[in-house]
Amino acid sequence: MTPVIDIRDLHVRFGEVEAVAGIDLAADSGRATALLGRNGAGKSTTMKVLAGVVPPTSGTVLVAGTDVAADPLAVKRTVGYCPDVGGLVPRATPWEHLQLTARLRRMPEWETRGRDLLERFGLGDVAHRVVGGFSHGMSRRLSVVLAALHEPAVLLLDEPFDGVDPIGVEATLEVVADARARGACILLSTHLRDLALEACASAIVLRGGSSVAEMDAVELTSETYRALLD
Amino acid sequence: MRSSTETWRGAATDLRHLMGFRSRSVRRPRVAAVSLVMVVAMTVLMAVAPAWLSGIPADRLDLVEAALPAALAGFLLLGIGASMGGGGGRELLPREQAVIHPIGPLTEHLGALVLAPLNLAWLLQAWALLATTALTVGPHGLLGAQVVVLLWVVLATAAAQVVGWSVEGVRRTRHGVVVIRSVTGAAALALLAGQVAGRLDDLSAALPTARLADSLGGPRWPLVAALLLVLVVGAVAAGGVPARWALGLPPREELRVESGVHEARPAPTPRLLGADLALMRQLDRGSVWRSVGMRRGLIVLAAGPALVALGAGLSWDTVLILPGLGASGAALLYGVNAWCLDGRGTLWRESLPVAPSATFDARTLVTAECLVLVSGVPVLAGAIRNGLPERQVAIALVACWVVVVVQVLAIAMSWSVRRPYAVDLRSPRATPAPHAAMFGYALRLSLVTTVTGMLFVGASSVPIWWLPPAFAALFLLRSGLRLRRARRRWLDAPARAEIALTVSAG
Repeated sequence: MTPVIDIRDLHVRFGEVEAVAGIDLAADSGRATALLGRNGAGKSTTMKVLAGVVPPTSGTVLVAGTDVAADPLAVKRTVGYCPDVGGLVPRATPWEHLQLTARLRRMPEWETRGRDLLERFGLGDVAHRVVGGFSHGMSRRLSVVLAALHEPAVLLLDEPFDGVDPIGVEATLEVVADARARGACILLSTHLRDLALEACASAIVLRGGSSVAEMDAVELTSETYRALLD
Repeated sequence: MRSSTETWRGAATDLRHLMGFRSRSVRRPRVAAVSLVMVVAMTVLMAVAPAWLSGIPADRLDLVEAALPAALAGFLLLGIGASMGGGGGRELLPREQAVIHPIGPLTEHLGALVLAPLNLAWLLQAWALLATTALTVGPHGLLGAQVVVLLWVVLATAAAQVVGWSVEGVRRTRHGVVVIRSVTGAAALALLAGQVAGRLDDLSAALPTARLADSLGGPRWPLVAALLLVLVVGAVAAGGVPARWALGLPPREELRVESGVHEARPAPTPRLLGADLALMRQLDRGSVWRSVGMRRGLIVLAAGPALVALGAGLSWDTVLILPGLGASGAALLYGVNAWCLDGRGTLWRESLPVAPSATFDARTLVTAECLVLVSGVPVLAGAIRNGLPERQVAIALVACWVVVVVQVLAIAMSWSVRRPYAVDLRSPRATPAPHAAMFGYALRLSLVTTVTGMLFVGASSVPIWWLPPAFAALFLLRSGLRLRRARRRWLDAPARAEIALTVSAG
């Protein structure tokens, strides 16, 4: 069976800097995979490539069978992406963000699910306030909501737990579990090993822009993780 | 809190460090250095060269001399307008970067003073004052006269800063926004009524600046200069008080926007534009009009020249220049770095399944709307005051308006894709690009649009009806090509990724 996410020898360069230096990665449907590594390991850049935001410099990246370089728009329709930083238009409200993402994905009935997700993430009361006044944790939670709204076949969550309170963490874990249950492929990038293990069945560790290990999550003890990072 | 124990000496030291930090982070230091040399050279030229001009009719010189008191007072008004519009004055460091540093209000106050000349209107007015003084005084006594004028420029800037901080302080009180809007509106109406009633000339003659103008070129200039120097020190020191007060209060207007309820409007169902484009245009419009700084800037830029056109009854020659300057000012609110409107949300927007052309077109359309609004209101005011222009002038006016809007739009979108910056425009004191870059942008935009406007002024005086449209076609072709190049760059995936990553890195 072809993996939903299939990355082969991915390289991404920004001028002189090589952010990703030859990653190979595969992830299947109905499974959550953690992407772990230190700062600058290439996790977020890999996520951006998978989201169709950054084109690969070389290598092959297939998302649900679509080549990211050839048809990024089709890839964007397939994935739900929570970026690592901000990810929100400062003077728009959560509801306007949901409205835009739903309309662009041609979702006729989205309001009930949108309202439900906002409530689950503790954002129901601020649905009509501009996000510029949100705390970091609130912005992160809304980013997860936006990624999950259309029940994507591929869910990309980049640092979704960063600065998020326990209720937000719980809601995010629920979103991951729901997505897994309906057969979606989930890639979750984080620094937090414990939460990664709770959410994901397998883990991939990146270092210096390359993947250095791929294993079942239960095998990734803190000693093993530490050894892989150094 | 450092602010309560902040001393002037400490503030001056902090200012030096912050200016050093900013100057070291200039992207193109060579261009900045050349620009600085050019500005200094131009200032010297303006202060000296007109004194040796000959052949100017005496009645013309008398008119220039008579206008000097009003010009000196106008400089103060300009400074007040700039500091009021900018929420007290420019920021040394963007707010989100400054929060981690112990920067006190006195440092902010000194920083706003030092950065005030990076406003093109300030510089042009200062040059105009120096040139007018040189012209009226002549070579004898020029040095003393220019020392006095320069000290007046500094004093007016410092005094304007006192007013600017005070207004910002009032604005941050409970009913402050209403108070400031009412007072500003009443003052504008009073000026308008005074002008219409022909009383402003009397007021101009009674201005204290009339005595200052009389002293220029005279033997008592050292005394006047010493007095101005004392007033400068007093004004700078006085500015510290309202700066401390204003910056110690929460920014109520911004907080009201951020904590207020904004019910989403129904998704538009356009007849002409695509649904995606219309939806994104709606979002972009919200981003502009919900920003305190941009909303204030657009209103001031549209209303200020309109009031002048209504009150002073500007000739059509002058009105022809206004759309270009208005459009330039509007572009400087965010258009020169148009993607910063989304801030860190640029990355999320880039992940949405929508054609990149629709994103570019929506941003271009919304920017164009702002340019049309700001440049159009003074023209409308001119038409109300002067009545409809004769046919040739009307053709030139419409052609000029369309040309400068498209010209500024093309330049702004081109800069936006070539030189993006990560900027948070939440604060009205924030600018869409670093100060040095903004100064360069302002200089180039105003130069281009003024030259264009003057060309159409010339075309309006020649009785050949097709001349303005012919000029317009050439300009529009050039701007259209430039806009197409900018759009093409945005459609290039690696270039677009670079822009999105840069803008969202703030």
